[in-house]
Amino acid sequence: MTGQTLDDLKNDGKNTDNILTYGMGYHQQRYSPLRQIDKNTVRRLVPVWNLSLDNNWGEQAQPIVYDGVMVVTNARATVAIDAVSGKQIWKQTLEWPPETPRVVCCGVSNKGAAIYNGRVYRTTLDAHVVAYDAKTGKEIWKSKVAEWKDGYALTVAPLIANGVLITGISGAEFGIRGFIDGWDPETGKQLWRHYTIPARGEKGNETWPQDNNAWETGGGSAWITGSYDPALDLMYWGIGNPAPWASQRRPGDNLYTSSVLAMRPKTGEVVWYYQFTPNDAYDYDACWELILAELNVQGRPRKVAMQLNRNGFLYVLDRTNGQLISANAYEKVNWASHVDLKTGRPVETDIAKSIRDMKATEHWPSTRGAKNWQHAAFNPQTGLIYANTMHEGRMYRHLETKPFVVGQRYQFIENLLLPRAAGEPVGHIEAIDPLTAEKKWRVPLADFQIWSAMLTTGGGVLFTGKETGEFIALDADTGKQLWQFQTGSGINAMPVTFTQKGRQYVTVLSGIGGLYWNIAREQLKDKVPSGGSVWTFALMPN
Amino acid sequence: MRAGLAIASLVIAALGCAPATAQTPQLQGFAPQQLKTGAEIYARNCSPCHGARMLDPQGASDLRKFPRGERERFVNSVTRGKNQMPPWGDLLKPEEVEALWAYVVAGEKI
Repeated sequence: MTGQTLDDLKNDGKNTDNILTYGMGYHQQRYSPLRQIDKNTVRRLVPVWNLSLDNNWGEQAQPIVYDGVMVVTNARATVAIDAVSGKQIWKQTLEWPPETPRVVCCGVSNKGAAIYNGRVYRTTLDAHVVAYDAKTGKEIWKSKVAEWKDGYALTVAPLIANGVLITGISGAEFGIRGFIDGWDPETGKQLWRHYTIPARGEKGNETWPQDNNAWETGGGSAWITGSYDPALDLMYWGIGNPAPWASQRRPGDNLYTSSVLAMRPKTGEVVWYYQFTPNDAYDYDACWELILAELNVQGRPRKVAMQLNRNGFLYVLDRTNGQLISANAYEKVNWASHVDLKTGRPVETDIAKSIRDMKATEHWPSTRGAKNWQHAAFNPQTGLIYANTMHEGRMYRHLETKPFVVGQRYQFIENLLLPRAAGEPVGHIEAIDPLTAEKKWRVPLADFQIWSAMLTTGGGVLFTGKETGEFIALDADTGKQLWQFQTGSGINAMPVTFTQKGRQYVTVLSGIGGLYWNIAREQLKDKVPSGGSVWTFALMPN
Repeated sequence: MRAGLAIASLVIAALGCAPATAQTPQLQGFAPQQLKTGAEIYARNCSPCHGARMLDPQGASDLRKFPRGERERFVNSVTRGKNQMPPWGDLLKPEEVEALWAYVVAGEKI
């Protein structure tokens, strides 16, 4: 690996030999134009190598590929691999105290690395950011982000934007005050920190109570990498839920929780914001992918940012200014009737009132959302979003909040199972029109939800993976499954595709872990063993 | 070392209690305040994985089924961690682990 420049990062996706950014392009479309593997040839797709990651905590990362070398991460290690042969080139392991998972709400994992100028960057569970030499894996610097014992953790893949290394933070379930940091990639020196909850006297703090200190422990994490528009020089970070989940002590909109912040990478300045769920009482979060694209809106091309929000609505925003273009429900929603396009605010129902009145209430979508972090993909050729969504309600109740204790859970809710009608699906794989949320097709899931990201390709094929270990390819026009391969553990990661010497490869990490493993372990434990590995596939020659 | 001392002190404390089978069906020998403390610690720190009021334990072990005669194993697991559960020995005092045990045994039966 030699250096890769900011221009390389901007142009990610154009040179299919490389995958340089989270989301396969700063736009996070998870789209590749590659078509060697298509609806007909996919039947000849076979594994070409497999590498053990010697890790039982779970694999969620997106691989990065540069100059024939693949870099993958998990909570325990960073590994560089020859992308064609599958041979391990170097491995850097991490040590963190065994107590650290106490402050990790939703799975001990890592979402991936960033690369820039001959270096590999990643975050650590015990709240550090690290730089390695891309050729040797030698550690160059390691900077402390925060004290893990205070509830801070990092699983997010870093973003390199306009020469700055940018990281988020996890910990809203522990009453942190969230932030996004800018670092000097060369030295590891912190350049700026932008708190997602404004301090007293700063704009936005007036949306928090003025007679208590709820804002200081108000959550607002940022645990999924922001997307970036180099032309506008704006990055888009989804901000997490307010803390505690029970909302009685924090009346007000609680800015900038459950929002998107459009920020300047050089300074952390916020240029605009949009709040999806004001006074979020449901852990609806807004952390994950804001997919950037150009959409034709009423005959006019618009630069948009799109999100399948956890709260059940699919939002399309004008990414130049944050103006709401559309917001339509894509799953069963009972906490709000609709989103008012004039005010940009959801219109809450009696269900929301019942929850706020601390009554046990049947609530759709559940706190885990109509979609969680399993990233959707957008194909600019079809104009459709492809996603793994969830069909789940819960009996939800706010409990009386207790005083904040540093480093301990700060939620105060009950969230119990609802009886499920026979034949009712637990989720869907679906193709969705972004502006209307209408489904082009929808494949119901009968047993387990899918917690893997989606990959869409120019060959008309979608790739994703199941908790039960199957890596699958679907026809993007119909959702029909075309191919599958059984990997050695469950898949809850992010497939990618790339070329080397003209041959198209597809890679995914297998290794059950993450939040869904916490949720469904009882049903999965006898079927799906732990154990992380990297699987790479290509077409068998004719 | 600290965990070892904590366990030792709990074992000694346990000797003062009647065996579980001989306890009254209601509080089973636990003080109401102890059960309340246990319930609070459980609700804050344990319920996210083991389920609200031990209902719906999802991925973590079902504490309603934890053998009542294996108190020492419970204390060990909480203090030192077990499988995916991290250790809590540096955060919870021995009497708090004791209160958690009381809650697990009797807290949802009163």
